[in-house]
Amino acid sequence: MMTPRPVMFMTRTLAVLALLLLLAPAAPRADETCMSPYMPKITGQEEFIYVWTLGAENLGDGSDKVVTVDVRPGSKTYGKVINTASVGGRNEAHHGGLTDDRRHLWLGGLDTSKIFVFDIATDPSKPKLEKTIDTFVKDSGGVVGPHGHYALPGRMMVAALSNNKDHSGRTALVEYTNDGKYVATYWMPIDGETFGARVERVADGYGYDLRALPRKNIMLSSSFTGWSNYMMDVGKVVQDEEAMKRFGQTMVLWDLHTKKPLKVFDVPGVPLEIRFATGDNHNWAFTATNLTSKLWLIYEDDKGEWQADEVGDIGDPSKVPMPVAMSISADDKLLFVTTFSDGMVRAYDITDPHHPKQTYEKVIGHQVNMVSQSWDGKRVYFTSSVLSRWDKKDEGSEEYLRAYNWDGKELTPAFDIDFVAEKLGKPHLMRFGSASLYN
Amino acid sequence: MRRIVVVCLALGLLPVMAAGGEPVDTRPELSLGRSAEYDYDPPVPGTYRLPVIELAGDGDVLTADGKRVHLRDVVAGQVSVLSFVYTRCADPRACPMATGALYEIQQISRKDATLAENLRLVTFSFDPEHDTPTVMKEYGEMLRPGGKGCEWMFLTTGSARELQPILEEYGQRVDRKRNANDPMGPFYHVVRVYLVDAQGRIRNIYSYGMLDPRMLLADVRTLILEAAAAGG
Repeated sequence: MMTPRPVMFMTRTLAVLALLLLLAPAAPRADETCMSPYMPKITGQEEFIYVWTLGAENLGDGSDKVVTVDVRPGSKTYGKVINTASVGGRNEAHHGGLTDDRRHLWLGGLDTSKIFVFDIATDPSKPKLEKTIDTFVKDSGGVVGPHGHYALPGRMMVAALSNNKDHSGRTALVEYTNDGKYVATYWMPIDGETFGARVERVADGYGYDLRALPRKNIMLSSSFTGWSNYMMDVGKVVQDEEAMKRFGQTMVLWDLHTKKPLKVFDVPGVPLEIRFATGDNHNWAFTATNLTSKLWLIYEDDKGEWQADEVGDIGDPSKVPMPVAMSISADDKLLFVTTFSDGMVRAYDITDPHHPKQTYEKVIGHQVNMVSQSWDGKRVYFTSSVLSRWDKKDEGSEEYLRAYNWDGKELTPAFDIDFVAEKLGKPHLMRFGSASLYN
Repeated sequence: MRRIVVVCLALGLLPVMAAGGEPVDTRPELSLGRSAEYDYDPPVPGTYRLPVIELAGDGDVLTADGKRVHLRDVVAGQVSVLSFVYTRCADPRACPMATGALYEIQQISRKDATLAENLRLVTFSFDPEHDTPTVMKEYGEMLRPGGKGCEWMFLTTGSARELQPILEEYGQRVDRKRNANDPMGPFYHVVRVYLVDAQGRIRNIYSYGMLDPRMLLADVRTLILEAAAAGG
């Protein structure tokens, strides 16, 4: 049972400060939405979308690039690509993240283990490559595949996918300063080396996404697969019995402050993206398992213990829809889930997170992937590519950023950018930008 | 070893048996308890590692008495908590929150001789135009009346030119708002509080959502234990 902290401010000045604190509206702790709570938010209209785009042969320069899309209503270039910033070469562009001061966008290459740091503050309409970290494997002591990039105060925590010894999913979290200096490596708990974590069934040591809930002093990580699988043609992977055994089946609860693993949850079926709720008393997060198409809730129970429960199906699991991304609305009432195989988005009423109810579904398109929504929930954006050797090869070469307006009942198209026609590549991760953040 | 035991006792870290035989953690900050914002129990000092993040930045700064000193000389030599603020900030989730956390820590240090002797708090302004040494002196006198507890220094710089390299070294970005009369204050910035060890190295960085005095003091005590173990 919590009790209010006693008011300790004694001087007149501090009494005023305390009053200000009491009068301040409860501040949302998520970004737009589901981002690191340490960074400033775009609570109004986002102005730009930065799309980390995988280079593809015969499309433009063939290199990975940041594609900037103008989403300012009324702009002459609304819904258009206004800038591209190539990194020169293909690195298996996939995920990335913003620093806590939101001045830089870190973008990882899963194959080369390079991290590209873009300045997005000097001119938010024109990201500029400022630094390339090409020592990630050496810095970290053998970690491979920088994936999730999560903002901590003054630092970035990089959740990786693999290692350079056996290229399996055994991996770590790697901490850097905002200006790219290596700080520390935190290996995932694995059977035989659990670092004191309590293990429900197995500790596989795998990683993927990383998110934090500072109010409870915890972090959560999820698990995918290693370099030997994600750089293999997916057709070969599914026919290789041994390769199919090398997929994540755990999530790890961490002490955010000490970076010690506390508990390894048994979440079979490859839990990928993690999304925490925002509300002050909402001590829970969702994930979706890619191979088994299940929604899982990770939550704090009445006794203060963190648990992971399967709480529902995503589509018809027997048809293997393959959920790939999620987004929770800022009011914690709605969850969007995208599924790669059928190209659909489904919306769930999560007012009772233990019993999510599907309320809506729509076909977005061929191999839909990432989904991002604005803070007010009125605009939702989708991209189409997953990995260079896992994207479908038998349904044409459709690659897109599709924008929709959401009125609470229906997604209606706002604009659609064809990344093939524009010779850009294969779009995956999206992050929002705005000049209003800096002045 | 004996020194570590003495420091542990001084830090309230060795169990003291209550009448019922239950071990009692005597750290005074634990009386703050959990709150809605910090709904967890802080770690036991010395049971975890604080990695070296980088060397703390340096530069010419002015004390509240107008004396010119090097910032690194101020923060090194003992464990320091360094907070970047400006006194005109009225955003309750920014500078007032950071200053409030330091205030609570200073209050707690009045009940703890080890903290009083081994910890220095430093409030540093990034608004030299307004926050002159005189302003910082008045600000400090309001916050820390009397001389008990750990030292709390209030610093500023002589000019924006002297300030800028310090901000860059610490990665503390400060932008002027378009509306200079914004009721929350004229600057846009993220909240940054740094933990610096006796060797002048940054060992943790705190921001909004992390300014829990119990947690900051767990880190401070961890560094004091570390120094004791190293014979410092």
